[in-house]
Amino acid sequence: MSLPVVGFAGMTHLGLVSATAVTARGMPTVCYDPDQALVARLRNRELPVVEPDLDDMVAANGDRQTFTADLADLSACGVVYIAKDVPTDDTGKSDTSGIAALIEQILPILGEKAVLVILCQVPPGFTRKIPLEPSRLYYQVETLIFGRAVERATQPERYIVGCAAPDAPLHPAFEAVLAAFGCPILSMRYESAELAKISINMCLVASVSVANTMAEICEKIGAVWSEIVPALKLDRRIGQYSYLSPGLGIAGGNLERDLATVLRFSEEYGTDSGVVSAWIANSRHRRDWALRLVHESALREKVDPVLAVWGLAYKENTHSTKNSPSLATIAPLAPYRLRVFDPVIPVAAANHPRAEGATSPVEAASGADALLILTPWPVFRQADPAAVAKVMAGRLVIDPYAVLDHQAATTAGLDHRVLGAPAAV
Amino acid sequence: MLTHTHNALTRPSRVVVMGAGGFVGGAILARLKALDVPVLPVSRTDVDLLGEGGGAALAALLHPGDVLVAVSAKAPCKTPAMMEENMRMVAALCQVAAGSELAQVVNISSDAVYTDDAPLVSEFTPAAPASLHGTMHLAREIMLRGVCKAPLAVLRPSIIYGAADPHNGYGPNRFRRLAAEGKEITLFGEGEEKRDHVFVDDVAELVALTILHGSRGVLNLTSGESHSFRDVAEMAVRLAGSASTVKGTPRQNPITHRHFDVTVRLRAFPTFRATPLAEGMAKARRDMENN
Repeated sequence: MSLPVVGFAGMTHLGLVSATAVTARGMPTVCYDPDQALVARLRNRELPVVEPDLDDMVAANGDRQTFTADLADLSACGVVYIAKDVPTDDTGKSDTSGIAALIEQILPILGEKAVLVILCQVPPGFTRKIPLEPSRLYYQVETLIFGRAVERATQPERYIVGCAAPDAPLHPAFEAVLAAFGCPILSMRYESAELAKISINMCLVASVSVANTMAEICEKIGAVWSEIVPALKLDRRIGQYSYLSPGLGIAGGNLERDLATVLRFSEEYGTDSGVVSAWIANSRHRRDWALRLVHESALREKVDPVLAVWGLAYKENTHSTKNSPSLATIAPLAPYRLRVFDPVIPVAAANHPRAEGATSPVEAASGADALLILTPWPVFRQADPAAVAKVMAGRLVIDPYAVLDHQAATTAGLDHRVLGAPAAV
Repeated sequence: MLTHTHNALTRPSRVVVMGAGGFVGGAILARLKALDVPVLPVSRTDVDLLGEGGGAALAALLHPGDVLVAVSAKAPCKTPAMMEENMRMVAALCQVAAGSELAQVVNISSDAVYTDDAPLVSEFTPAAPASLHGTMHLAREIMLRGVCKAPLAVLRPSIIYGAADPHNGYGPNRFRRLAAEGKEITLFGEGEEKRDHVFVDDVAELVALTILHGSRGVLNLTSGESHSFRDVAEMAVRLAGSASTVKGTPRQNPITHRHFDVTVRLRAFPTFRATPLAEGMAKARRDMENN
């Protein structure tokens, strides 16, 4: 079968990256978004998200990747992906009204034989309710990871596809899209696929929670978590790609949404979810590791101290600040002076009354009583601890992700604190 | 979690401290006066919440817009009779909280509302008291929450210490007094249990901040440091320059520890600095000597 024209509805982070990856495999794509201003920027190749290699790929795709604000343009597509963001409220509950409205708009203009694929994350039970012939309706588990979105989209390890009849062959047009990536395709019921995504995230949360729990004990008893991790990764039952890096809680809206979803199902159906509640409690506790440390070690000792902050983004290589541990840490530091540097995020995003921006990491650290490295941007790894020590007024460096070399930082006279290790190693 | 009505410090028109004659109430009173907050101290001799019409008598003292700080309780609550008395007292407080136009109610509760086997406690830890004392405080919280029209702040202190503490319970106060007298300090087991001890001045300061921000919700009043009873006893001896000995005894009960996650307090009151135990013990000793 010839390659189909593939439509993407919703130029979100997920939609843009997915469409770019599909286009790069030789398929023409129609990238729709109702926001005309966004479409105009995309046509000028001004991308709203930061991801390694994304700009180059979009440029290389050329005219094969078209952007439109006209919904009717999707009618020519053999496969249409729904890639709109599904927002969550403060409790992590998904609001599917927006995506439901989009689907309602698209169904009347969808080609007679075209396939509709739900790519965004929806709660189990959502896909089956869509009023479309089941053989043309699929759910596909999305694999977006901020900062590694292009890598994940271009080199998927497998596709998980929810369908009405798992034993039946996939619709040829849809199969052609997936086959272009040359990875295993796992077909299953809609509900299984929807829950598979959540299950994956539960496994990740479990691993991170183990890391966070044990890292805290390491900090108290003189063990070093980073020494333990390689031993775990060589255990086949755990695995080399397991998520064992401790962090400032479980950041990221998708994980929190899935935790909330599991709790809701548990409540509705009377299943045990005590461990999920424990993960959430542990996440809340570890999220504030840096906040507690800066209070214990810097703020109680000096009147009106200056705190340097490196990084505002949710994680490295992304422009997103949603659920950013950095913002969560500095919000309750409102009475204190901050000097902030982030390679992408402007200081205004900190929404902090006493924050001022700096043009470089070293400038931010200059004269600071303590330094907090709250996003592990690669550029921060290039900082020379000796140079940082030279310009800082204080010695405390709170570096949860061990961005600076610990030995070099200690040699430079810094009190270098990382997750999972005692104060002085 | 504690949320503020006022981000900037805002003096209320008046604060009525019910239980101002006690150890904690007195400290709160002193701190509010030092901050030039108009205060009406009410003690048991002014209003007896156990007496006939106690609630009405307290209500008669209140003005619209007052903040009511409820400190008074029969504590520690150890018997059914004390429980019954405490429930009568809180029923009177509820009558007042429901019927008065208050700006805020601040209820001084206790960390005894938490389960004994929670090693790390925060405001998110479910309340599941195992003692009558904790049950009394939790019942008091629930009763007040049910009727309070004004913002309600529930403050749960850990073990409070200070020179004026009339109780001589196992911990910093008793150890300090024994050390001052050169007497032997006897520990349960080897005093391994770690507990959080909060200085009474810190309790008063946190209550004042809660009032000045018009806060509502739950906050633990703690130091954030947990020390073993042996460490506290030895610290008391050192500070007193005493010849007291610290002696262990055969252990009767399993060792349990309690630590506090103070993040909610750091977020609510980022400039508050808890008094370290050694500093608080030294000040309590000086206060004791001066009085």
